[in-house]
Amino acid sequence: MEKVLKRLINKKQNLNEVYIEVRKKDFKDACIYLYQNGEAILRVMFATDERQIDSTFKIYAVFSVPGKDEFFIIYISLAEDDLSFPSITNNIPAAHWYEREIHDMFGLVPEGHPDLRRLIFHDSFPPDSYPLRKDWSVKESDLREWGEGMIIKQPYTFMEVEGEGITEIPVGPVHAGIIEPGHFRFSTVGETIFFLEPKLFYTHKGTEKHFETLGFFEGVRLAERISGTSSFSYSAAYCMAVEKMAGIVLTEKAKAVRTLLLELERLYNHIGDIGNICAGTGLAVGYAKGAVIKEQLMQLNETLTGSRYLRGINTIGGVTKDIFLTKEHILNVLNTVTKEFKSFMKLLLGTVSHMERVENTGRLSRDIALRLGVTGVAARASGINDDIRKAHPHLLYDRLYFEPHTTSRGDVFARMMVRAEETECSISMIETLFENSYGGALIADKKDIPPLSSALGYTETPRGSVFYWVKSDANGKTLRVKFRSPSYCNWPAVPFAVHGNIVPDFPLCNKSFNLSYSGCDM
Amino acid sequence: MIKEILKNLTGRKRVIPFPEGFNISPEEAAKVISLQENIGRVFGKSLRIRQVDAGSCNACEWECTALTNPVYDIQRFGIDFVASPRHADLLLVTGPVSRQMELALKKTYIATPEPRLVVACGDCSIDGGVYKGSYAVANGVANVIPVDCYISGCPPSPLRIIEGLIALLKKLTS
Repeated sequence: MEKVLKRLINKKQNLNEVYIEVRKKDFKDACIYLYQNGEAILRVMFATDERQIDSTFKIYAVFSVPGKDEFFIIYISLAEDDLSFPSITNNIPAAHWYEREIHDMFGLVPEGHPDLRRLIFHDSFPPDSYPLRKDWSVKESDLREWGEGMIIKQPYTFMEVEGEGITEIPVGPVHAGIIEPGHFRFSTVGETIFFLEPKLFYTHKGTEKHFETLGFFEGVRLAERISGTSSFSYSAAYCMAVEKMAGIVLTEKAKAVRTLLLELERLYNHIGDIGNICAGTGLAVGYAKGAVIKEQLMQLNETLTGSRYLRGINTIGGVTKDIFLTKEHILNVLNTVTKEFKSFMKLLLGTVSHMERVENTGRLSRDIALRLGVTGVAARASGINDDIRKAHPHLLYDRLYFEPHTTSRGDVFARMMVRAEETECSISMIETLFENSYGGALIADKKDIPPLSSALGYTETPRGSVFYWVKSDANGKTLRVKFRSPSYCNWPAVPFAVHGNIVPDFPLCNKSFNLSYSGCDM
Repeated sequence: MIKEILKNLTGRKRVIPFPEGFNISPEEAAKVISLQENIGRVFGKSLRIRQVDAGSCNACEWECTALTNPVYDIQRFGIDFVASPRHADLLLVTGPVSRQMELALKKTYIATPEPRLVVACGDCSIDGGVYKGSYAVANGVANVIPVDCYISGCPPSPLRIIEGLIALLKKLTS
């Protein structure tokens, strides 16, 4: 790295983001150095089309080193006549999907990538068509044929498992329950899952491209609708990125309201998720109880903000409503919720049929989780001490005392218990927030977006960390909005967790991860 | 567990449209009773719904799931969500219909036995909503399959969905 650092082209710092430009041939070395020696985590990797600025495509890889509130963003420029870059997947497996995505969206080739099948687009999307390039255009007939899905333009081959007694079970995209669409192909030996290949991106809505047409301020509405149950955290991270870029500093009041609502969102999600795990184990009483507590919290959300999913509160520069005025009501509801949640957990932990199903099911080892860059509850349940609220304190999290809850078991039980502990932690965090008063206006003064600037926004959603990276063009308009949902990191880990389990346990494993398809599919 | 069952057996049962302690007004609750009468008349006391996610953000799905929780408990009106379109009277479609889900939605529609109803649920299922104009969506369910009823809201609350179903059934009986 020292050698690489000597050869770096450009280094600049913007708050806690350190941008390091390296030469194309040094890219791999620099990333591997950070990953192996610094134990850095690859947070997000993406490309941009900056041909209108300096006639290059750029590849960015964002790393963060544990224990330091700093992001190392290593980037390279690719000239228009040389559209390939060195793949880092063989050394950093977490880059696997990012590089396939860049290949699909920009047509840039990661050289040396072990598996360059299409990730996002299905068979009937026209080949050599790259939506995130600025000069991309597509024929109406091509779009129609894509929707009809009858003409195979670039076939996708599933990985095949050969051997005696192997059975293939295709499931989806339309599932039996009220859930999102995705295709799963199980290769089983008897009842045991030997291999699972998920084919996702059925709900791909072209969100990143759509952000570019909306503009920064309108984008908040779209950010709220990327993943329904994490509406508030997604829009909070998006606003944070744009605010950092424009140099807007939030008032104490706005920070406090955002922190409070982030925790309220975590509460209803975690309790609902534990209830859903009961649906996976067939414990109807537990499912119903979880659903009732969740409903109480959703109705609290509605009284506070007018939306059961906390939508319409975040705006660039602050929030639209002062939640602290309804302190008494919130604390009353939380009191009942705390009591009911305790008896709920007592019921679950005391039910043998439930415990037998969750213990030792869907085990995800720390090693695999670390390599795949797993985030959130799934990571902490596998013993990775990673929580964005702690690692990169934002809003009021630096003033709240808490420790990330980790356990090394890595099974469904661990993921359930991490959620239960975080629920209690969130309740006490909300109570602590109410002990102080916060001054300032709800919305800070508006500022124009400076041209050619970029910033990173992030927060911890109930599922894990979400990242936004935004960049403005020469007129201060949107050049690129990249977001990385926690589900995007965690999906590749699900096949490893279900390996060796029986097929009927798959829904249970899946529910314990509770991943969003819409957030992942972009 | 046993305690819970005993509590259910010995506890005083009351038939009320919604449990107490939740902020739903009596008028809203009373509306639901007409739903039960209509379902009895039109569908022989049972309306089976197949929910299809055609690219929604998952909020609409959670509201549909909430319909089956003990608070709204839609099953007591004879309405239930079923696992296969072959068992369904009604398709409840959410989302702007992403291009990659178009074919699956059409196939689900064809698999539903006639007479069938289609309800588009949520703002983006009407005209694409916030996703309107994106290259990867078909801007609404009606562009892919015929729709009988729209339920607006982003997402529509469980009560709005029940109201929408009432309106549809009224249209059918009148």
